[in-house]
Amino acid sequence: MWIRLLLFTAALAVSFASLARGTYQQPEDFLQDTFAGKVPQPQVVWLRGELKTEVEKLLGHRYPSLRVRYWAQGNRSAWILEEVGKDLPITTGIVVDNGRIERIKVLTFRESRGWEIRYPFFTDQFKDAALSGDYQLDHRIDNISGATLSVRALIKQARLALLLHQHIGNNSVPP
Amino acid sequence: MSRHRKHRLKLRSLYVWHRYIGLVAALFIAVLSITGVLLNHTERLGLDQHHVQTDLVLDWYGIHAPQTMTSFKVGTRRITLFGHHLYLDTLELPGTHQQLIGATKFTDYIVVAVDNSIFLFTPQGELVEHLDGVDGVPSGMRSLGIDGFGSLVVDGGHAIYQPATDFLKWTHWEGDAKAIEWKQPAPLPGPLYRALVEHYRGEVLPVERVLLDLHSGRIFGRYGVWVMDAAAVLLILLSVTGIWMWLRRGR
Repeated sequence: MWIRLLLFTAALAVSFASLARGTYQQPEDFLQDTFAGKVPQPQVVWLRGELKTEVEKLLGHRYPSLRVRYWAQGNRSAWILEEVGKDLPITTGIVVDNGRIERIKVLTFRESRGWEIRYPFFTDQFKDAALSGDYQLDHRIDNISGATLSVRALIKQARLALLLHQHIGNNSVPP
Repeated sequence: MSRHRKHRLKLRSLYVWHRYIGLVAALFIAVLSITGVLLNHTERLGLDQHHVQTDLVLDWYGIHAPQTMTSFKVGTRRITLFGHHLYLDTLELPGTHQQLIGATKFTDYIVVAVDNSIFLFTPQGELVEHLDGVDGVPSGMRSLGIDGFGSLVVDGGHAIYQPATDFLKWTHWEGDAKAIEWKQPAPLPGPLYRALVEHYRGEVLPVERVLLDLHSGRIFGRYGVWVMDAAAVLLILLSVTGIWMWLRRGR
């Protein structure tokens, strides 16, 4: 009886973990949602010189690529960024409006633990967050027990999107 | 024979057994102690990050180079998919991949098409950008080519596509398809193949795995585990005979 119960619990845990991994929204759909079906042409920001140093300082390591793609309209910009939680990258879509986070959505989660960060009860904490002087968020983000590394990765992505948004000087982007 | 003499003979025999058991167990104690201490400090010593390079150990574990490989010439250099690992010459590029579709030099980039993605690298092997569907990369890519004007084209199966020089926009390509030079895989030169085999094998087996297997005896297969179990029994016997003798000598 106990063995059956244990086996059932283990099977449930494994299937739950495997269900938690995956793509929750395609990047194309995220952009369509963000720009109400009129996605602007992409642009790129090159991570060079001072910006490269700032990004490395913020992340604690180099960003995996030399340039980052973004979509901007008016004072809004959308970013699709990757950051490793424990072993695998988490793909996140982030919308910044006037230097504050408008929306953050986990698009693909590949790890077996920490998937709770995808739920709105967690991502809603980022709304209206901006960068303070030392590249930190001016909002407190509560941790999720057992998902610390994923939470850290998402916070880093939010800070990076805000820094890059600041860098592109969004006022110059035509509405 | 007096009782005292009998007692001395018994004790002597026990002492001899204790000595032999100790001698046999010594080797196992050394292996268990050394591997145990090292395993206690796996992270600090980076044993899970360092990999075994010794051919003898790699052969023992049956780690061989993959049979499947695809390689493309990019100027004087090579892009090769070896197993699931992508290499620029002998420099391993990030990620794991299933199929190398093509590779070519275009403007300042080395363009590599793998699976449903395109990777742009600098000539030094630094990743410039990873492009996929959301960035306009056509799905179902078949090959990469250079058209008569020196521009990059991609065979998307049902149509040919062309990226802008900065890869921010993709358009349908129209023109004389016969003028396109489609990139074809080329055989891997012997020295590069051997270097990749060495690199590939040297990235597979963490030192921690070997230490764990030595500690448990699994390095010698299922019988190794029994040998280590026997060693554990010897250690128990050693402690029992030691305590027994100590108690007897006290009488």
